[in-house]
Amino acid sequence: MESFVGALGLYGLGTLALIWPKRLELAAHYVSMGLASIASLVVLCQSLMTLGGMGGAAVWQLGRYSLAVDGWAAAFLLIIGLSGTAVSIYGMGYGRGYLGARIRQLAGLWNLFLGSMVMVVLAGDAFTFILAWEVMALVSFLLVNHESEKKQVVHAAYQYMVMTHLGTAAILVAFYLLGSGAESFAFADLAHSQLPPVLRHIAFGCAFLGFALKSGLMPLHVWLPNAHPAAPSHVSALMSGVMLKVAVYGFGRFVFEFIGADVFAYGLIVMVVGLVSAFLGVLYASMEKDMKRILAYSSVENMGIIFAAFGCGMLLVAMDKPYLSLAAFTAVLVHSFAHSLMKCLLFMSAGAVMHATGTRTVELLGGLMKKMPWTAAFTLIGSMSLASLPFTAGLVGEWLTLQGMMTLAFESGTPELRLLVIFAFILLGLTGALALGCFVRLYGVTFLGRRRSNLVLKAHEMPFTMLLGMGMEALVILAAGIMPAPLVNAMRQILVDSPLAIPAGNFMGLWWNGGQSEAVFSLWLILIAALWLLAFLALTISGKKVIVRQDVTWNCGTEPTRRQQYTATGFSKPLRRAFDFILKPRRERVFLQREHAYFGRKLHYNLLIPDQFTDRLYRPVQHIMIKAADTLRIVQQGSVRLYIGYTMIAMVIVLIWGGM
Amino acid sequence: MAIGFYNAAVQALCLLVCAPLIAGIVNKTKATLQKRQGASIFQEYFDLWKWWHKPVIVTKYTSWIFLAAPIVYLVTSIMAAMMLPGLLAGNIRLGDAFVFVYILALGRFFMTLGSLDSATAFGGMGGSREIYISVLVEPAVMLAILLNASRYGSTMLSQMVIDYNAFYFTVPAVMGGVAFFLVMLAENSRLPVDNPDTHLELTMIHECMTLEYSGRLLSYIHLGSMLKMLSFLVLFGSLYLPLPLPLVVKVLLSALLIGLVETLNNKMRLFKVRVYLAAAVIMLAVAIIAQ
Repeated sequence: MESFVGALGLYGLGTLALIWPKRLELAAHYVSMGLASIASLVVLCQSLMTLGGMGGAAVWQLGRYSLAVDGWAAAFLLIIGLSGTAVSIYGMGYGRGYLGARIRQLAGLWNLFLGSMVMVVLAGDAFTFILAWEVMALVSFLLVNHESEKKQVVHAAYQYMVMTHLGTAAILVAFYLLGSGAESFAFADLAHSQLPPVLRHIAFGCAFLGFALKSGLMPLHVWLPNAHPAAPSHVSALMSGVMLKVAVYGFGRFVFEFIGADVFAYGLIVMVVGLVSAFLGVLYASMEKDMKRILAYSSVENMGIIFAAFGCGMLLVAMDKPYLSLAAFTAVLVHSFAHSLMKCLLFMSAGAVMHATGTRTVELLGGLMKKMPWTAAFTLIGSMSLASLPFTAGLVGEWLTLQGMMTLAFESGTPELRLLVIFAFILLGLTGALALGCFVRLYGVTFLGRRRSNLVLKAHEMPFTMLLGMGMEALVILAAGIMPAPLVNAMRQILVDSPLAIPAGNFMGLWWNGGQSEAVFSLWLILIAALWLLAFLALTISGKKVIVRQDVTWNCGTEPTRRQQYTATGFSKPLRRAFDFILKPRRERVFLQREHAYFGRKLHYNLLIPDQFTDRLYRPVQHIMIKAADTLRIVQQGSVRLYIGYTMIAMVIVLIWGGM
Repeated sequence: MAIGFYNAAVQALCLLVCAPLIAGIVNKTKATLQKRQGASIFQEYFDLWKWWHKPVIVTKYTSWIFLAAPIVYLVTSIMAAMMLPGLLAGNIRLGDAFVFVYILALGRFFMTLGSLDSATAFGGMGGSREIYISVLVEPAVMLAILLNASRYGSTMLSQMVIDYNAFYFTVPAVMGGVAFFLVMLAENSRLPVDNPDTHLELTMIHECMTLEYSGRLLSYIHLGSMLKMLSFLVLFGSLYLPLPLPLVVKVLLSALLIGLVETLNNKMRLFKVRVYLAAAVIMLAVAIIAQ
């Protein structure tokens, strides 16, 4: 515990970059980012020790306020520590691009952001939690708003600010309701909160609303695809990879300790919202052209999968079979871990691509593989993981989610439950395949083929610090994918020890007889065979005799031009057409030269895929609110006499009321 | 464990050797039904031999992904063949159904990347369509797994093998069988969905992706896709075809059936495939509820 407090202190020291003298800007940046990575490393090591049962004291009391760490918290501290370290190292190199553009502010707030996230997870009472949560929200707002010269950025930042405060308000209400039934706001007391059912439902609803908003579940995701591209890349990596997980942490804390999962509807709501977010998130991700927006929507997808697994586990608990929920809840932790790694990695490589070419529109890229081989290799690993392919951490999380769902299928006696499970498997199947398509498209269009614009010409490989940050994440993704047993077992143990007290039973054993030497776990055996084969086959084509000639691609006898390559928009065209009833794409065609009907005609083509939730849900709500405000303006005329009149009327009413 | 692993490896090797023969049988069936003489059933071996000895021409725009793609594709097909139940591998615990699906997805991932790497419209077109089909197939695949897994209480392929006494010509069995057959045709680029014989760029999907490959690399791709088809036939025979026959007979029968279906059907319009696969999904959903 002391190490965590020490790490918080280091983050605090790092924050001092805010007040360093301006002429030592660069030094401030390096010192501060260095402190952030050291502090994150401390968090990483200490959380590993806590998971291993050598963590020392679990509580750190300061008057009425306390910091506490248990297994559930340690799992998320592990995520913060690992990704925090890697992204801070990356940030040392990447942040240099902001020299002269408030670099001290960026580095200082970076520390504060990391520190506040650690604090949220460590909080042992509602007050500390809300305080840290609010600091996290405000600091991330400032970080999103960093490039405030751009109008779009400011818009995204304020949208984020409004949305995140709605979430905070909802969580506050939930805490207030829980606190009203408990002796104090310490988490230990809140756990024994006695609430009448109606208030309990409201508390659950508010908590889910708040945390779902922070995790970007649909339809509360609208801020996410705007805020993530607006922020500097290493900030978006941290927001997407780590901050969203902090919301999962909070939701888990509420469900496991304060509210309980014994109501069937709770699990049902969480699962359905999760599944729908997963599917729609990845569908929109497959349509976007902006690298960072693709990744942001993919975060919606992955948070959806995490919450779907969460809901699945809650359903099993509500069905009085908590011993079966182990697979689903383990999936929550493992997929949170995996997603944090891969999303941080891909946001870092998006940052690298931006750094190298100055754009994040995939349609202007292509052929970057040759210019930045290392970045390309790391991105390939991240993309494979996001497509949940074997030998990456992505599959482990996805696979456990599917196993959790399968457990639910096994228990589904009634037709209604079977329908739910069928629905779940259809959506998860679509999600998995779309994710593969989405990342083939992202990777193929960005790194492979030929350049689509001259921006690529000036591209270059990244400095060492940035590569180190990406490489660390890529390495852990592969390690966790090839040898998932330690990770999965540690996460499972957390749940066994958690307040939910899931009976230890070998959850793998429910499905297969035996323990760790099973499918995913023995994949490495196949991997060895595969590597031998790969090596053999690769050798057979590497000889000079085999590859005789390098020539242009066959193109019906003509020299292929760069513009004949498939674009990202073209690549997703069949999908756009297959799912047009959801996406409702809008095409705008403007003929600039009408006089020539067929020849030499200039054409302006624009494709819009508006987010349906913005159009159908938020716009009308916004409209109604503005209308309501307009109507209320009748009483707000600005005349002082009128206001004195209001005061008098209010006074009279109060006097009469008091008299009664 | 180790012995099981060697068994699995030997199994994959045997399937690898047989795969061109099965493809030859399908082709011969089609030829016979179409009143053509057709090539010998061993023709695929000759073709592989030919390609193996031909030099490789690589386009100059590509990266190492282009060279790696066919190799990864073949290796993933072999890995999938190692997991199949009901043969030598027996009860070896390698074959989880979801892992099977995702291993094949690994091959598809690299093939599609390879197609984009060749930097022309043809490759991109093939890749784009391949992804489109795979997205539509995936829900049906998931439900097919769910059907057998929820019946036998395991997602291990070896546990999902049908037992004839209890699972014999019931509604779920027949529906599941038919639906899996539809899925199998789509997954292996067979006729109503894709045409394996066409060489017109605009109508093909799988062949379009492989257009830029030649020589030894092409032989890897062909061997990989033939092995993938044989793996699916074995899966169909052991998991979804409710006939009390030995597995070899069932595999041959379903190969003949593929030849028949390919003769009787035209290629569907690309956007009609949606309906075709929705039919498979609905059949599987009915089967699961009726179970």
